[in-house]
Amino acid sequence: MTKYILNRLFHSTLVMFTISFIVFFIMFKAGDPVELMLPPDATQQDVVEMRAALGLDKSFIVQYQKFLSNVAEGNLGNSFIYGQPALDIVFERLPATMELAVIAMIVSILLGIPLGIISSIKPNSILSRIIMFFSLAGISVPVFWTGMILVLIFSVILGVLPSSGRGEVYLFTSAFTWDGIKHLIMPVITLSVFQLALILRLTRTGMMEVLMQDYIKLASAKGVPRKVIVYYHALKNTLIPLITVIGIQFGQLVAFTIVTETIFAWPGTGKLIIDSIQNLDRPIVVAYLLVISFIFVAINFIVDVLYTFIDPRVRV
Amino acid sequence: MKKIIVGLATAALLCSGANAKTLSVGMSDGAQSMDPYFINNDDTNSILNNVFDSLISFDKDLHTQANLAESWSNPSPKEWIFKLRKGVKFHNGSDFNADDVIFSYDRVRNWDKSAFKSKVNMIESVSKVDEYTIKMVTNKPYPIFLRQLTYVNILDKETLAGKSDQWIGLNPVGTGPYKFDSWNKGDSIKMSANNGYWLGKPTYDKVIFKPLTNAATRVAGILSGAVDIINKVPAVDVAKIKNNERVDFFMVPSLRTIYIHMDQHREKSPFIKSPTGKNPLQDIKVRQAFSYAIDRESITKYIMKGFAVTANQLNASTVYGYDKSIGKFEFNPEKAKALLKEAGYPNGFEIQLDSLNTGTYPKIAQAVASSLTRIGIKVKVNATPGSVFFGKMGKRETSFSLIGWASGSGDASSFLDSIVHSVNPDKGYGKYNWGNFANAKADELIEKSASTMNPEERLKELKEVQKIALAEFGYLPIHYTVNLYAANKKVHFEPRINGYIWAFDVK
Repeated sequence: MTKYILNRLFHSTLVMFTISFIVFFIMFKAGDPVELMLPPDATQQDVVEMRAALGLDKSFIVQYQKFLSNVAEGNLGNSFIYGQPALDIVFERLPATMELAVIAMIVSILLGIPLGIISSIKPNSILSRIIMFFSLAGISVPVFWTGMILVLIFSVILGVLPSSGRGEVYLFTSAFTWDGIKHLIMPVITLSVFQLALILRLTRTGMMEVLMQDYIKLASAKGVPRKVIVYYHALKNTLIPLITVIGIQFGQLVAFTIVTETIFAWPGTGKLIIDSIQNLDRPIVVAYLLVISFIFVAINFIVDVLYTFIDPRVRV
Repeated sequence: MKKIIVGLATAALLCSGANAKTLSVGMSDGAQSMDPYFINNDDTNSILNNVFDSLISFDKDLHTQANLAESWSNPSPKEWIFKLRKGVKFHNGSDFNADDVIFSYDRVRNWDKSAFKSKVNMIESVSKVDEYTIKMVTNKPYPIFLRQLTYVNILDKETLAGKSDQWIGLNPVGTGPYKFDSWNKGDSIKMSANNGYWLGKPTYDKVIFKPLTNAATRVAGILSGAVDIINKVPAVDVAKIKNNERVDFFMVPSLRTIYIHMDQHREKSPFIKSPTGKNPLQDIKVRQAFSYAIDRESITKYIMKGFAVTANQLNASTVYGYDKSIGKFEFNPEKAKALLKEAGYPNGFEIQLDSLNTGTYPKIAQAVASSLTRIGIKVKVNATPGSVFFGKMGKRETSFSLIGWASGSGDASSFLDSIVHSVNPDKGYGKYNWGNFANAKADELIEKSASTMNPEERLKELKEVQKIALAEFGYLPIHYTVNLYAANKKVHFEPRINGYIWAFDVK
């Protein structure tokens, strides 16, 4: 196990190092942020001075070396556009995004798996058909549309939920205050619709497949109660592919909350990263992608460890 | 039971502070720094102007007026004496005096990350005459000096001396009508009233600026009552706003011209394919044909949905230097075709129109392209993001480009210096002259007007330059943009020409 973890750590570091290089290079090639930062009437001299102040007058190699030596000291540089340390800015915004993603994922799992099971046991019942209809809609409807319709109904027409922003924060999350929960409801629904539908459909397909297997028939023949078969034997075998997908999807949720964040003016990282790419704010883009890839790497690791608990055949 | 509920409701009202009046503003973008010299963009400046004062400020219509400088004189063309307002205090209680002005101007001129150097690079020296008198000397007579000084917010020396850039970027201390409370990045900037403000007590006790970058979100915000004022109302939602009885709609002219550059300098232009191999835009007849061919009225009506003013010259009527005597551009495709034929291009040529891919730019570019197609010019529209677009334009990798220019100083020289003057980086002219328009007479007049202290004489020079540029068909102005706002009926709001939202205006 220790050897495995060390091995993974080495690989992860290599992955993050590569990412930093690629992103740094792309942002270097993308253009000059100084042109976008200074007012239109800035003189050539202003541009030169600003470039020197930001260290952008140096060659790529020199800039990247400087970056690496700063990273060794835990410093990812200052944002060009905000003037503050890039990592601080990312971490200031990350809790809002994580909160949204985690809650949306929990909602999707808690609703998606049971609904998937229900619709798999009696696939032709009316209830199953209704569930499947809505899951199809959930997969097909664009996130943007869902969000705007929710705002139209609950904020503009009914006036019961706030149209945008994050509510009062207690400790590290807004989920502990009433004001915060009111602000969370619509973004969470918007973000979880797709995930919920996906998990539901995967659970259903997986369950239906497993329920056809010989060992299920054998268990039935041996007189094992139906409930035990469904919720213990079948579900456990369905979960393995499901966990893989949930892991990947969670990473996706964190990285791609941008649409939801834009609609609800949610102060997360999605909005930050789009702005930073447009402004060519390299330190933020690099810091953000390093943090996100770290999260992906960590999730993958957790998923691998979870396998060993669910499927005794898997050894790490 | 009823009594209890009423009681609870009253208690809730009291707790939420029934007396504290809060103004909530939904803006199309947030501030990037709380340091007033770090970044020069409209959204950041607009927010920081609530916290800071400058020596001179703009009134609603962009005329200069006294602010922290109570009065001033201009004893010789290069010399300016400012009498400072007495008894003004910064938000943390320290006094405002000449030392703060010296400190601020030193920082804005010399700090290596200052984005406002171009606003003050004509200043040669700033010195203290006495506690409340400042003398500034410019390197040449500078007629729009006062306009440029509106950009320089005054910082508190006692508070900032020895502080790091990062600290200054998070802790604004000014003399303005509102005190900075907190900044929750991406969510809100909160301020509270500075009751000792020298112009009087602000109407609102609290002001919240929220960045609602998505237009539909801003509209939902104003319709649901979550915010009291929004800017940049999207044209498609205007009907919805107008029909809502709780909300007022505002349309005010802006300082921005949308126009087209034509490469008229190079023998061969990179993105033109003409039968002769030459650059047809060098011929004034072709440029004039383009001007005749573009249906500006239709662009205003259909693309801008009426929310624009069709251009008839370089700058909008809001800008000092606007010439009332100039008539409309003529739309006449037949004349255009005849001119093309005369110029030797009866079958037209191929050209690429570069544009930004944001907002209405691509649609305007398409409309221009289809106008030109009707006179036989094949136009390919190339719309790219700002990070790519501006880099290419800077290197003149373009033959034909659509862009907008806002004369933020409210003076025609902004457009003339950066766009009409021939390219001359040493003198700081023509940086955005992407079509390399060059006219010796225009250059001479621009340089002369930059030091003409007599306003009437200067206005004549500005108008003369514009006449030359228009007669040469150096540019194709399309329209002037307008600023659209919506405000809840319970607030009294009067928009400013430069688009800044100054909470002190709101009653």
